Amino acid sequence: MIDTRTAPGQGFLSIRGLTKRYASFTAVDNLDLEVPKGELVAFLGPSGCGKTTSLRMIAGLVPVTSGCIVVGGQDLTDVATHRRDMGLVFQSYALFPHMSVAKNVAFGLEMRKVPKDEIAKRVKEAIALVHLTGKEEHRPAQLSGGQQQRVALARALVIRPSILLFDEPLSNLDAKLRDEMRNEIRDIQQRLGITAIFVTHDQSEALTMCDKVVVMNQGRLEQLGTPVDLYERPKTAFVASFVGRTNRLKAVARDGFADFAGQRIVAPAGLSGPVEVMVRPHRVALSPAGGEGVTGTITRAIFAGDILQYDVDAAGQTVSVELATRGGETVLAPGTAVALSWRPQDVFVYGAAA
Amino acid sequence: MSTAIAMPAPVAKPRRNGLALVVALIAPIALVNAFGFLAPVLNLARMSFYEVEPTGTMHEAFSFATWGKVIADTFYAELIVNSIAVSLGITLLTLICSYPITLYLHRSSGIWKTILLVLVISPLLTSAVVRTYGWIAILSEDGLVNNLLASLGLGRLRLMFNETGVIIGLTEILMPYMILALLAGFGRLDPRVEEAASTLGAPPFTIFRRIILPLTLPGIALGCLLCFVLAVSSFITPKLLGGGRVFLLATEIYDQAIVTLNWPLAASLSILVLVIFGAALVLYARALRAVL
Repeated sequence: MIDTRTAPGQGFLSIRGLTKRYASFTAVDNLDLEVPKGELVAFLGPSGCGKTTSLRMIAGLVPVTSGCIVVGGQDLTDVATHRRDMGLVFQSYALFPHMSVAKNVAFGLEMRKVPKDEIAKRVKEAIALVHLTGKEEHRPAQLSGGQQQRVALARALVIRPSILLFDEPLSNLDAKLRDEMRNEIRDIQQRLGITAIFVTHDQSEALTMCDKVVVMNQGRLEQLGTPVDLYERPKTAFVASFVGRTNRLKAVARDGFADFAGQRIVAPAGLSGPVEVMVRPHRVALSPAGGEGVTGTITRAIFAGDILQYDVDAAGQTVSVELATRGGETVLAPGTAVALSWRPQDVFVYGAAA
Repeated sequence: MSTAIAMPAPVAKPRRNGLALVVALIAPIALVNAFGFLAPVLNLARMSFYEVEPTGTMHEAFSFATWGKVIADTFYAELIVNSIAVSLGITLLTLICSYPITLYLHRSSGIWKTILLVLVISPLLTSAVVRTYGWIAILSEDGLVNNLLASLGLGRLRLMFNETGVIIGLTEILMPYMILALLAGFGRLDPRVEEAASTLGAPPFTIFRRIILPLTLPGIALGCLLCFVLAVSSFITPKLLGGGRVFLLATEIYDQAIVTLNWPLAASLSILVLVIFGAALVLYARALRAVL
């Protein structure tokens, strides 16, 4: 396994023991993270997992309960937001509605007392970078959602922040624009070599855009890794089911093996009793009945063009199977008996959730 | 799948009943305004040209005598200028007192916000007369403030029967209106926008000056218009707290109509008040166009 953890203190952004407690619950619990310079790291998790609170603590918009935030060797934990030199792109864009596009972008530079002619030059560049040349004098309300998000991006980029923070920036855009902006944000981030944090609840955004992904659940870091790590080697049942789709099958473990429908699957040492066996639908192989593996019966068959989806009943549990179509397949009718098999490295066994 | 995707033709909305519906919706308020506002105002305008005897007896006529007096006598010019100046002062003071409260109210949420709103509105449940008497108890020669000052050995202040008293009383009485108007105009103020300014390097006061203030200008304009109009037309509070020594348009109109029985003069001054309101409305419209 590739070690994706950067040693403490080695990251450009270094977060240690970051905790946020409210009266009745802990929003973020002892988060440790090292982000090397120039990397795009996603905070991925369901709503309420603490990802946005973490981002807001990094930006200084939410005071921390304990822990520290260090950027480039400088402890920023108690530094006011306006002195942190970070760019933040909001889900709701948060543009200044009473200012033109150019004024919005210039705002951060004016705060930094940059000379007028340099402001004009840099604003022009930033607006060109996000393909909005010609819209300088428009008010935000006159722009589409995608264009507004580009202005927000330009406004955050133009100050050349030490860290660029994204708070679910694509959630308010329609699917087509989202794909476009996703590529654009990634391009710009790589071209400028900016260190960035990208908060999202959309696992495909996290997987496709980011160098590393932090999966969070209930305020805790579940797993930190590259997209490949998370998908191929999920450490917890939560990560396996949150990142990508997966079958969750009940089984019982004994003596280092989980037993699912007579199939022995290697389980992590020390695990016994009820467990969950997880295997992704497209990693399940289907063969005629009598073949190797678990015997089952097809209960549902769906031809979806690029893939063939089957629901297979095996030992009273439903296993989804997805096969990529290459042309010429026969769609097996419900009721057909089949055998299911998988490679050992594609199966994960976790202790059953209490 | 690429070229010809037939879209269903948009169904034209039936427009036959459109005009009738508009007329039906506007008619009730139009009728009420015609009988309750427009007719009396036209009657006032007509009355301002009547002739009047010192006894108060009016003759239907078309005389410029009253208007001539209003224009020639500097007392009335001073009255108008003073009324406008005092009302503007009250409006400004009301704005300054109400703005921070409204900002806090706008940012609070849930049950706390509801409680605060009820507290803001609750003075309106008491009549202005009662609230003015409350102020008399506080501001009079032997009132709360003066007794406190005297007990501290600081002497007594004249807080009543002068403009100071009128300004203090009216400011408090108009604050609920100002707060509600400001709140209605704070819609564009989004905490995320303030946070965005903060992340871009703006310290708190700069955020106030460059973001909060400009975004709340529509509310400020609305609140000022409302309070100015209410201040110019209020007469109970100036009457009681001014004690007949503060001369404002509204109190003068009351005196002319009820005490002196010079109805044409009261009518002409009322028309002047309407002209002032018209001017305030024009200013408001211009201000709004400038800030939006």
